[in-house]
Amino acid sequence: MIALNQISKSFGRHQVLENISLTVNTGEVVVILGPSGSGKTTLLRCVNYLEKPGSGEIAVGDFKVNCAQARRSDILQLRRKTAMVFQQYNLFRHKTALENVMEALLVVKKISFAEARKRSVALLEKVGLGAKLDEYPSRLSGGQQQRVGIARALALEPEVILFDEPTSALDPELVGEVLEVIRSIAREGITMIVVTHEMGFARDVANRVVFMDGGVIVEEGTPDDVFQRPKEERTKQFLRRITPEANYTI
Amino acid sequence: MGAPFDISYVFSFLPKLLDTLGVTLMIVAGSLLNGILAGFLVALPRMYKIPVLRTLAGIYLSFFRGTPILIQLFLFYYGLPEILKLVGLDLTRAPVMFFVILTYGLHTGAYAAEMIRASVAAVDRGQVEAAYAAGMTPYQAFSRIVLPQALAIAVPVFSNLVIALLKDTSLAFTLGVMEMTGKAQTLGTLTQHFIETYLALALIYLAISFTLEKLLVVAERHLTRHEIRESRSNSLFRLKKRGSLRTVMADIDIGKGGIR
Ligand SMILES: Nc1ncnc2c1ncn2[C@@H]1O[C@H](COP(=O)(O)OP(=O)(O)O)[C@@H](O)[C@H]1O
Ligand SMILES: [Mg+2]
Repeated sequence: MIALNQISKSFGRHQVLENISLTVNTGEVVVILGPSGSGKTTLLRCVNYLEKPGSGEIAVGDFKVNCAQARRSDILQLRRKTAMVFQQYNLFRHKTALENVMEALLVVKKISFAEARKRSVALLEKVGLGAKLDEYPSRLSGGQQQRVGIARALALEPEVILFDEPTSALDPELVGEVLEVIRSIAREGITMIVVTHEMGFARDVANRVVFMDGGVIVEEGTPDDVFQRPKEERTKQFLRRITPEANYTI
Repeated sequence: MGAPFDISYVFSFLPKLLDTLGVTLMIVAGSLLNGILAGFLVALPRMYKIPVLRTLAGIYLSFFRGTPILIQLFLFYYGLPEILKLVGLDLTRAPVMFFVILTYGLHTGAYAAEMIRASVAAVDRGQVEAAYAAGMTPYQAFSRIVLPQALAIAVPVFSNLVIALLKDTSLAFTLGVMEMTGKAQTLGTLTQHFIETYLALALIYLAISFTLEKLLVVAERHLTRHEIRESRSNSLFRLKKRGSLRTVMADIDIGKGGIR
């Protein structure tokens, strides 16, 4: 389980997150929606301290940290319990697909080479890249790179995987293969927080949908609640803009 | 002026000049070692934006990149002992070689600093974040993710740097160091076959530059084996591809080497 309690974050005088509280239960898939600039990326990046939150508390599993007084060792702990899948994949460009997945197993988890290799091969096979183990990222399509990114995140066996718009940098014809992989790991009961604009995916996969705007959580609920019966005017506006056909289906 | 041209002198001068190759290479190696060390010391405050040190680093860079190496040699050789005398250090007996390697080292350091800064900056920040997100420490992220890629990016620049340094060492004779150029002058004066000595000298510099360049190309190929390589004819006219390592290399121009 992960619990965010009253997270706030400012860049200079610009407050980007305002007292965000969010609990994600083990095995739950939470999709975060919201217009550009609403603070979705910043929220995910606060969870693993790529951004330093101004205040609030983060609990991941049995580990809890008060953001105002986090020490370096707390930050490392937090990062070792979470994993992230980036919009731009951010694969290590000088390492092969296999080496990308193995890297943290060797360096962070410090497990043996043979074991790390075995696990990594299995994960790459799972995301459909068993034939691309020794390819460098520069020779993989965007969809393949992102699937390596997902395997790399899975390898850490994190309490939660944070996805930041994992398909928005992809050519449209490659989106499906990546969503399919995310769907399949969601079914395995891996806890995830996914920022995405893929409404169909959110509807199928999410246990819960959170709508953010202007640095606050405006509304949250089951996909049915949020998509079919949104309560807040801002949510309705956003949904109308992003899915014009919603006007007719309701 | 001098004796009539005789090609055989070129060949007889070659081994005589090569006798002093060791001195030239020693200046190159010593200066490189100093230079890379100085380069790191100067690049770090600039990369991490450390207030006062950063300004000092800027002054250092301006001085060594903005004044002729010959003047730097004279300033250090004649000036440094005078300044150090004031604080009670006697350098008047220090060998010339000390001043030569010190000056070339600091000079090279200015270019090495820019090479290091640019190469590290060229490794995209996203990879570092991915390393952090996976729980790596800053040291692990630097040594395992940034450094190997920065090295690959630095090789072509480094190659220019070494060759420029090699050529610059030909000025050390002005302080009386018997390196290759100094030796060539002596041979020329003795035999009056100036053109032949300088021809032999040029051949040697050319051979070393060529070898160094080829070695570094091999190193570069090895370090960038993860990047898609285009054939040479393509790459001359290829369109820029955003984020490709080769584009980045081409964009790093520290202004050393090539036409000077
Ligand atoms: N490093 C930063 N420095 C300053 N402002 C930032 C930074 N990162 C994000 N912001 C600002 O914070 C706000 C939220 O950004 P972000 O979290 O990226 O939104 P989203 O992911 O929902 O589009 C935006 O107004 C953005 O300009
Ligand atoms: Mg974003």
